[in-house]
Amino acid sequence: MTDLSPMDDAPAEGSIGRPIAWMAAAGLATVFTAGAIVGVIAASKEDGGALSTTAFAIIAAFVAIICGLIYAQWRLARRIAASGGEMTRRERLNRNIMIACGVMGGTIGLVLAITSDTLTADPLTVFSEAPLPLTLAILLALFWGAVMPVIAWFWHTRAIDEQEAHAYRDGGYYAAYAYLIAAPTWWFLWRGGILPEPNGIAIFIGFSLIWSGVWYWKKYR
Amino acid sequence: MENRLRVLRAERQWSQAELGERLDVSRQAVNAIETGKYDPSLPLAFKIARLFGMKIEEIFDDGFDGEQND
Repeated sequence: MTDLSPMDDAPAEGSIGRPIAWMAAAGLATVFTAGAIVGVIAASKEDGGALSTTAFAIIAAFVAIICGLIYAQWRLARRIAASGGEMTRRERLNRNIMIACGVMGGTIGLVLAITSDTLTADPLTVFSEAPLPLTLAILLALFWGAVMPVIAWFWHTRAIDEQEAHAYRDGGYYAAYAYLIAAPTWWFLWRGGILPEPNGIAIFIGFSLIWSGVWYWKKYR
Repeated sequence: MENRLRVLRAERQWSQAELGERLDVSRQAVNAIETGKYDPSLPLAFKIARLFGMKIEEIFDDGFDGEQND
């Protein structure tokens, strides 16, 4: 084999899995901290309306935490971008699609929060089965049922490479087996009176988390 | 599967991004192939071989020592 010394002058390279995991964790922490702010505001409204000095202080602390988390994400994003040189064309496209999906997901969450009657910080509201206004329900269904498949097709055919497609496929296998095993198990235990009725959204989230987790492990390990 | 991709890239002083751009894959894919965590498809292996002007078996080593069992 040839001497590896020319690599000494090369830019820092290697797996970017760890900074991406930290970035995702910081992103989640940002969302939960924002949720905590909503919770403080909701609690103040229930107690009479105006925010107390203590509530203001708590909110200010949370805002400071969010600023710190955003700064950390910015630093991590720069480290990821600098690893192994500039991003390739596929990586840039992939990143842009991910950002667009994040913005759309955030918009959906915001719309759902705004159309909700009351402010709530309960993260379990995602499992809500409360009725939606008809127009909003149709718009969300159109987005998820018609726009998302187009984005997914574009992403698979233009943005990802074969290594990521391989990781994604493995994630799909793991998630499918988990679904095939877990969903009927829950259903049997519900019929036996041990567990509450199976929740479709909980199953969907579990399926998505397993798929994403395996994809991440296979892509960035 | 072991390979010489990292060495060949170093000889040309290419970054992972430069090689990724030439192969139309991500830096992560280049890194995964170099570290042996991902074995490329046959089309990608041919593309790599053409890029470096070598045969596939001169870049990738599957550990087969040449002994064939009949």
